[in-house]
Amino acid sequence: MAMMIPYGQRVTPDPRTTRSRGLMRPRPVGRIVRIAVAALLALWFALPVVPLLIWSVANRWSFPATLPTEWGLDGLSQALAQGAVPAFGRSILLGLAVAAIATPLGALAARALTFGRVPAPRLVSAILLAPLALPAFVAVMGLTIVLLRARVPATLAVLLLLVAAALPYTVYTMRVAYAAHDIAFEEEARTLGASRAHVLARVHLPLVAPGLARAAFLAFLVGWSDYVVTVLVGGGSLVTLPLLVGSFAAGVGNDAVVAVLSVSAIVPPLLLLLALGRFGRRYAGGRLTGPTPSRSPKGSP
Amino acid sequence: MLPTPGPGAAIARARPRASVARDRWVALASVAPALLIAGLVVVGGIGMSAAQSVGLVPLVGEAAFTLDAYVANGDELLTGLALSLGIATASTALSCVIGLAAAIIITQGRVTGRVVAALSALTIPIPHLVGAASVGLLIADSGLIPRVLGIAPTAWPDLVGGPWWVAVVLEYTWKESAFVALVVAGVLATRVARYDETAALLGASRARRLRHVVIPLATPAVIVSAIIIFVYTLGSYEVAWLLGRPYPEPLPVLAFRLFTSITLTSRPEAAAVAVATTLVSLLAVAIGMALLRRTPLWK
Repeated sequence: MAMMIPYGQRVTPDPRTTRSRGLMRPRPVGRIVRIAVAALLALWFALPVVPLLIWSVANRWSFPATLPTEWGLDGLSQALAQGAVPAFGRSILLGLAVAAIATPLGALAARALTFGRVPAPRLVSAILLAPLALPAFVAVMGLTIVLLRARVPATLAVLLLLVAAALPYTVYTMRVAYAAHDIAFEEEARTLGASRAHVLARVHLPLVAPGLARAAFLAFLVGWSDYVVTVLVGGGSLVTLPLLVGSFAAGVGNDAVVAVLSVSAIVPPLLLLLALGRFGRRYAGGRLTGPTPSRSPKGSP
Repeated sequence: MLPTPGPGAAIARARPRASVARDRWVALASVAPALLIAGLVVVGGIGMSAAQSVGLVPLVGEAAFTLDAYVANGDELLTGLALSLGIATASTALSCVIGLAAAIIITQGRVTGRVVAALSALTIPIPHLVGAASVGLLIADSGLIPRVLGIAPTAWPDLVGGPWWVAVVLEYTWKESAFVALVVAGVLATRVARYDETAALLGASRARRLRHVVIPLATPAVIVSAIIIFVYTLGSYEVAWLLGRPYPEPLPVLAFRLFTSITLTSRPEAAAVAVATTLVSLLAVAIGMALLRRTPLWK
């Protein structure tokens, strides 16, 4: 559900323009209120991660103590002993596989919907966005019986369901990207004698690269953070990182292991997000047109 | 596609019929793979759930139409429905209020705006299950907050696994308010600055600009995010399972338990819960879309 987030796009106004707005200059009272509200919001967003960080380096933390009574890496060694590394690898592979399938499919569909003559375009977009409105467990409960009888391997079934869940994100993100994309550049290159493959590699893909990166990131997140589909369809045969987190968090007294596993589940997407932000900014800076106003496709959410 | 005046448009209009038909096929072929996967999962998922729930796809024995699966857990289905609706409504409303406040702070810019923008952007990629684990470590009776405040576990309210599902709602609100904040900030960043300046120039006070400029411009984005959050929290399993109490169960938890139970009759019952959840989701989307159409900015 994170598809409309302007990752890699500036959401705060440019300080050079805000400073010159005399009328909009803050007054002392407004300033204090703004800083207080902002501090509360910062606390709200950051606080839940704090116990995770502390617990991940605590061996013992008996109740009334505000800080761990014994620091150490017992949680880490226990997590490693419970197969955290292979689970981490499987989660990465699952996320990459979902991104590798859902991104090109979403881009193809979005391009056809933006520039092509798709019959019944509203119906097609509605079906492509429909997985958002359908709880994941409903799709799983309906389809397991079909997939089992067709003898589809569990991992493939998980992948199919997660790709469907990721498609709304990739389609929407790529529609926004193509709405701001000027197809005249491609036509120009064709007129100048470039082959189709050449235009794709040198003009089309570089121009939509930031959109593709955003779409792939969101699709990766779908595979990376899924719990319900992997549990129900995989039936325990595909142990990913969220499955380990779930099984330890459901028990008692595993706080250190849960914290270590959780931190390792947060780090990869955060690194990707930071890389995405850098990529988006560097890319936007190098382009001729500067920030392009994005027209979002209206129709369904 | 925008109508592009110029030579390109003229050529497009002058194209022969065969070429138009070919364009159609190319477009259809581009859409087909994504459409097939999404269609299979959505239509197949709903259709097969519905078929199982009325006894048409039994694991063993003969298929016969029956509504037993809906009646068998009637009471649990109704309490689960009420509970799920309550959790989803509370989480959606709180996320929208907090997220809108954060979006307004973000669009004001300066250091405060950038800090809030960065922190909310970092919150979003955290998996919900991890969020649930960390909220548990924060506000359970042995969590960080009672430790810091020095409150004994017996005096601390049952936030995790308590009667009011506080931890579940807080987890959803935490993650989804960050979502609302960035979506709305993205919309406000592209549109609102100039309108806000114009209104200021025309003498509108801060309160009036917020009431008549910023909030109306943010409304469509808030409604779209609210639909997405509502449907998500209604159908999400892991947070309610981890931070909730064993009874009563929200719809996804009930469906999950029935689905993984060893009794043969419970598969159709799980499917019945799934169908009920789907109907409520679709109804919520329909209501949300109707609200969206009534906003003045809808084109």
